[in-house]
Amino acid sequence: MHSIHAEKVSLTFPLYQRTSASETEAHPIPFTEDDRLILGKDGRILAVKALRDITFTLKGGDRLALIGKNGSGKTTLLQVLAGIYPPDAGYVATRGRATNLINLNLGMRSEATGHRNITLKGLAAGRSREEIEEKRNQIAEFSELGRFLDMPVETYSAGMRMRLSFAIATAFDPEILILDEWISAGDAAFKQKASQRMQEFVGKAGILILASHSPDLLIENCSRGIWLDKGRIRFDGPIRDALEAYAAETRGAAQKPRPANRAGPAPVDGARARS
Amino acid sequence: MSDYIGNADRLNPESNRSPEMSNAADIPRAAPSAATPPGAGVAVSSSAAASRPTILFEDVIDGLGMSEVWRAFAWDEMQQRYRRSVLGILWIFVAYAVFVGTIAFFFAGFAKMGAHQFIIYVALGYATYQFLVGNITDGCQVFSASGNWIKSTTLPYSIYVYKSIFRSVFTVALQLLVALGVMIYFGWRPTWLSLLSLPAAAIFLLDAVAIQYFLGLFGARYRDIPHLVATIMRVLFFMTPILWVREEMRGIRATLADVNPLTHFLEIFRAPLMGAEPRLSSWAVVLISSAVIWLAAAIAAWRMRRRLPFWV
Repeated sequence: MHSIHAEKVSLTFPLYQRTSASETEAHPIPFTEDDRLILGKDGRILAVKALRDITFTLKGGDRLALIGKNGSGKTTLLQVLAGIYPPDAGYVATRGRATNLINLNLGMRSEATGHRNITLKGLAAGRSREEIEEKRNQIAEFSELGRFLDMPVETYSAGMRMRLSFAIATAFDPEILILDEWISAGDAAFKQKASQRMQEFVGKAGILILASHSPDLLIENCSRGIWLDKGRIRFDGPIRDALEAYAAETRGAAQKPRPANRAGPAPVDGARARS
Repeated sequence: MSDYIGNADRLNPESNRSPEMSNAADIPRAAPSAATPPGAGVAVSSSAAASRPTILFEDVIDGLGMSEVWRAFAWDEMQQRYRRSVLGILWIFVAYAVFVGTIAFFFAGFAKMGAHQFIIYVALGYATYQFLVGNITDGCQVFSASGNWIKSTTLPYSIYVYKSIFRSVFTVALQLLVALGVMIYFGWRPTWLSLLSLPAAAIFLLDAVAIQYFLGLFGARYRDIPHLVATIMRVLFFMTPILWVREEMRGIRATLADVNPLTHFLEIFRAPLMGAEPRLSSWAVVLISSAVIWLAAAIAAWRMRRRLPFWV
C-alpha cells in the first residue's frame, strides 16, 4: 500500500544575499509584520520560514487538495513531499514511487525534441528503453502533439508543454502524483481528459496531491483539502469544507477596511468589493 | 548563518513518532537508495537522512547505476553543441590536430629532446592537462548548470558529475587518438612500460568524481569560486610542464613545477608512454592528493549537500 506521511515538517528558505535594500532605501515601504521573515541586523531578509509544523498522512486512493493564497507555501510543500527539498525539521516518509509536475519549465531539455524528452524523462524515472518505447505511442496520443513531438520543446506553447509533461508523468505508472496549479493552463477538453486520467490513477490506489486555485478542478479531483496559511496548516478536512472555510476568510478580508499604513496595490477582489 | 538554519536536528525524526505511522517511522533513517527498490521500502526525506556522513558514497554508487541517464544527458549536450555543423563532433579531432601541428611548427626547436619527441610530448601532455583542468573548471558549474533538473527531480546528484566526466572523457579520447596517430607516424611502438599509463588513467577518472562533486557544491554555494578557480588555472598552465620539459629546467622553475600537483598527475600518465618510468615521488603525490580530494568531497557532501537545491 502506498502512503506518504509528513511529520512536523518545517522548512526555512535561505536567501543567500539575493535580497537587496537598495531599491527601497530612499523610500522605505512601511511593512506589516510578517513573522515568517528572518531579518538580519541591517534589516535585510535572510530567510523565510516557508513551512511550519506540517503533519498529515495520506494512504492509497487519497486525493489531497492544497489551497491557500499565493506565497502560502503550497509549492514549497509539494517540493518537500516530492523529496526535492529535505525538510529542516521533521520528516516525510514515502512508500511508493513519487512523480512530480511542479514547475513546467524544469526537468525538460528545451533544446531537445518532444520525443527525446520522452526518452530522457523515462530514463530518469528509472525505466528501460523497451518500456519507454512501449509507452511512446500512448504518450503521443494522450498529448495530441503529433508531429510536434519531432520539434524542440522550446518551440512549444505553455499549453503544449503541459500536455507533454502531464502525458509523460502519468504514463510511467506513478504511485504518488504531485501536481502544481499549472494544470489549469490546459483547455477545457484537456482538463477533462486530465481529470479522467487522474481518476483512473487514483482508482489504482495511487495518491494524488494537487495544488490549485480552481475550486471546480479541486472538487472534481480531490476528496480532502488542506488550507495553508503562512506556511502552517489552517484547516484540514473534506474538500468542500476546506474550500468554504478558505472562501469565507477571503470574503471577510475583502470587506474589511484595509489598515491605513499598509502600502502596495490592493488586491483586485478587494478593490472590486469596495467600488 | 547557521544560527537560523542550523536547527536542523532539533526535531529528530526518531523522537517524533506519531501513533498511526509507527510502522513507517521505525526506519526513518532508511535511505532512498538502490538498496530499497522503489515501491518496496519507505523513502525518508529529512535533515538527518540527507546529511549522513556517508552520503557522498551512497550518492556516487546510486548515480553509477543509472548510467543510461547520464550517458543520454551527456550525448544530448554534445550533440547540442555541434548541432547543424557538418563535421559535428569530429571538430574536436580536427581542432586538436591543428593545435598539435601549430605547436610542432613553432616550438619544436626550443626543446633539447628532439623535434619528434617534443611533438609527442606536447600532443600527449596538452590533451591530458586539458582533461585534468577541465574537471576542475567544469566541476565548479556541474551542479549550478543542472539546477533545472536538481530542482525538479530526485535523481542522485552524482548523475550530473558523471554526465560531465563522460563528456570530457569523450573529448580527451578523440584528442589522444590524434596523439596516438602522431606517435605511430614517428615510429612509436607500445612496450610493457606503456601499460603503466592505465592505472594513471583509472586514478584520473576516480578523482574526477570527487573533484567535481566537491567543487560543484562549493561553486554553487559561493559564486566567486568558479572565477577564482579559472584565475588559478590560468597561472597553473605556465607552472605545468606541457610546452617545456621539467628535466631541462633548473632552480625556481623546476621547484615551481614540483610543488604543482598537476605536474605529477601529468607525469604518471605521460612518462610511461614516452618510454620513461615515472618518478615514484610523482605517484606518491598523486595518491596522497587523491585521498585528500575524496576526504574533502565526503566532508563537503556530508555538511553541504542537503542545501544544494537552494543554491542552484
